[in-house]
Amino acid sequence: MSGGALEGIVVLDLTQGVAGPYATKYFSDYGAEVIKIEQPGHGDSARRLGPFPGDEPHLERSGMFLHLNTGKRSVALDLRTASGQRILRQLAKQADIVFESFRPGTLARLGLDEATLARLNPRAALVQLSNYGQTGPYRDFEADDFLAYASGGVFRVTGDPERPPIRLGLYAPLFLVGVVAAGLAMGAFFGSRRDGAGERVDISMMEVLASSMDRGGPNLVAYQYSGELTTTRERMGRLSALPNGIYPCADGYVHVSTQTAWWPRLCRTIGRPELADDDYYVSRFTDFEAAPDFDALIYPWFLERTKQEVMVAAQAEGWPASAINSMDDVFRDPHFRAREFFRSIEHPLAGTLELPGPPFRMLGTPAEVRRAPLLGEHTAEVLRSRLGYSAEQIVRLHQGGVI
Amino acid sequence: MSESERRLPLEGVRVLAQAIVWAGPFATLILADLGAEVIEVESIQHLNPTRTNYRHLPPALLAGRIGTNYVDRDGSEGFWDRQSYFNYGKRGCKSVTLNLRSERGRELFYELVRQADVFIENNAANVAEHLRVDYPTLSSINPRLIMVRFPGFGTVGPYRHFKGYGTIMEAVAGHTAIRGYEDSDPSMTPNSLHGDPNAGANVAFAVQAALYARERTGQGQEIDLSQAEAVLGHLAHAFMDYSMNRRVHGHWGNRHPSMAPHDVYRCAGDDRWVAIAVPSDEAFAALCDAIGRPDLARDPRYATVVERYEHRTDLDAVIEAWTCRRDAREAMAKLQAAGVPAAELTHQEELTDHPQLVEREFFQRITHPAAGTHRYPGPMGRFARNPLTPVRGPAPTLGQHNRDVLCGVLGLSDEEYRALEEEQVIGTAYLETATT
Repeated sequence: MSGGALEGIVVLDLTQGVAGPYATKYFSDYGAEVIKIEQPGHGDSARRLGPFPGDEPHLERSGMFLHLNTGKRSVALDLRTASGQRILRQLAKQADIVFESFRPGTLARLGLDEATLARLNPRAALVQLSNYGQTGPYRDFEADDFLAYASGGVFRVTGDPERPPIRLGLYAPLFLVGVVAAGLAMGAFFGSRRDGAGERVDISMMEVLASSMDRGGPNLVAYQYSGELTTTRERMGRLSALPNGIYPCADGYVHVSTQTAWWPRLCRTIGRPELADDDYYVSRFTDFEAAPDFDALIYPWFLERTKQEVMVAAQAEGWPASAINSMDDVFRDPHFRAREFFRSIEHPLAGTLELPGPPFRMLGTPAEVRRAPLLGEHTAEVLRSRLGYSAEQIVRLHQGGVI
Repeated sequence: MSESERRLPLEGVRVLAQAIVWAGPFATLILADLGAEVIEVESIQHLNPTRTNYRHLPPALLAGRIGTNYVDRDGSEGFWDRQSYFNYGKRGCKSVTLNLRSERGRELFYELVRQADVFIENNAANVAEHLRVDYPTLSSINPRLIMVRFPGFGTVGPYRHFKGYGTIMEAVAGHTAIRGYEDSDPSMTPNSLHGDPNAGANVAFAVQAALYARERTGQGQEIDLSQAEAVLGHLAHAFMDYSMNRRVHGHWGNRHPSMAPHDVYRCAGDDRWVAIAVPSDEAFAALCDAIGRPDLARDPRYATVVERYEHRTDLDAVIEAWTCRRDAREAMAKLQAAGVPAAELTHQEELTDHPQLVEREFFQRITHPAAGTHRYPGPMGRFARNPLTPVRGPAPTLGQHNRDVLCGVLGLSDEEYRALEEEQVIGTAYLETATT
């Protein structure tokens, strides 16, 4: 046990891919025991997502899997067999939270419908994460991060109006859905425990993305308020004439944003403090046609400096600028390094790897990022210690292909 | 279940919040939807940047993008109570105005801290110290207090004092460098605020994790969240490729490392598209059948995902020749029926009428005392036993709950309350001199 915040909570994890496992990763990194059920021989689909060292696919070396499943215990269990389903029910009896992301209806077919779970373990929270929700005309449709992004309306916001819409970073929507689902699962856990009666939560990826990504909810409300969206592909432009957006510099690009109150800071940064009161500029902050005049002031200064230099100089004056970092920049960034964000993990088959650290630091009950499990690594141990199976029974299940 | 019988999961948890911009409102949205009593601590001396950065909205800005956030683009007095980010993310919350820069205001805040479980704040990194509402001070008043601080770059490290807006953290964390068109200059990459809702959702989880830990330890704790780090965990594919292979990714466009076809395709109508993601050879064969080109499935140029990826430009043209003559929703239905993962690109303007969301009654009609009645996205989880809908109420107007909180919770007399009003420690409208 890690002594983390969630010590004592047991999560039965029936998710795979990205969103569900990212949600349950929050539980394992912050101290809960997460028992992950995987199909024998096949495992979580994220084991095939990569990237792989040397680009050689291997079930135990997928970068996505190794990140998403830190600290979990893997139990390989064939849920298509009656014995597998019996073991599933026995594990469900011991769980505080059962977390699943099957297609709607699948859990019931595996013999763990809502009523059965309520009978086996009346206090367990059941969290059901799916593409479109457990009900409605779209419930059986296929989706992934890209399609949920489309359905949630997010493509309306991302891209150039003259070109096809584009998404944000690969899988970004699934990670966001995962963290939202983790918070809702905690709520379900608290409610279930207080009332001694299990709460069931139905989470739709489409609804989460429509609400959140990347300005979803407020954009929808703005449309209700004014009849217009605040942000669309057509309206990516500036909020004022002041520099806003991405600009080239000596070794790459920087992002800046400038509110009118920050004009003097911009002037100080570029060594032109006298412009702070210059009427020509000060009278044109909201004159969008003057934007090129403002940009002309910063281009030459930027082009003589690296992205790191621009960022540090501007931020020292309180003018928000940032380097557009590539991943190599990120790995050597002094801030992330000083905060010891990167965690070095030893893995028996993937070697020593740097992984992202926990997303927030709990100073009283620190998180711990431990390596992801091998497929079925904890099967025997969990069956023995949690369910009291004998060595003989375990051998028989193994021979029968159940585990 | 009737409203009075329902018991929300976080009922009885009192959260003080200075949770601003978009990360903050997304955190309070989740906590309040789950039943916490969230009290946004504002002031009439300082503009809450979620509500506005301007005491009077300049007409040019009101006519532009900023204006869309306000009901009917109406910038008349009280406009700050009619703002979309605030009224979405603070629904079910309370508002008190306390001037924390005054001795009396700070004292009252400390009194609230004594009776609170949680304080969440995403002011710039040094503001809590300046206002003397830092964790060492507050925990000496209430050792059970949980304090979550979530400025852009966290509270320690060389960038801790950097201004950290969403676009900035994403750039530093490496997100901006991998999104964008494959062939375009990075300066064309549009803004994204992915890190904001992510930070907010993390805060909602962190608060609950700390509440659970407190049952065991009897102690509160401080939590330090760097919005930049929280985003980095989402970039796992690029992160792990660098970690394992020292490979640096550029713009990915709509490509996927192990799927092809994988893109958006133009449909009939203006700015109408369908997204198609083909995960297997079987799904590709189904796609070929569905678009009336079964021959393509047998074409050696498209035999495996590697070949399809290599020849994707040709292939995309064939697919688009089919989609561009069809309605996006009809194309989606036809492809899904054939077993091909596809989705219409929904326009946000149309989400309130989307058949899936209508059937699930996702949008909730809420009447706000200043903004009127509108439809808002509902809670993000459907709780079967104690439903989160209807949400407990609209967002508060500025200082709406001053009396409830100061007299009700802190037990101030009418006389003391009136004195606070007179001294402008509290109020319900921004002072003319109010600034950000």
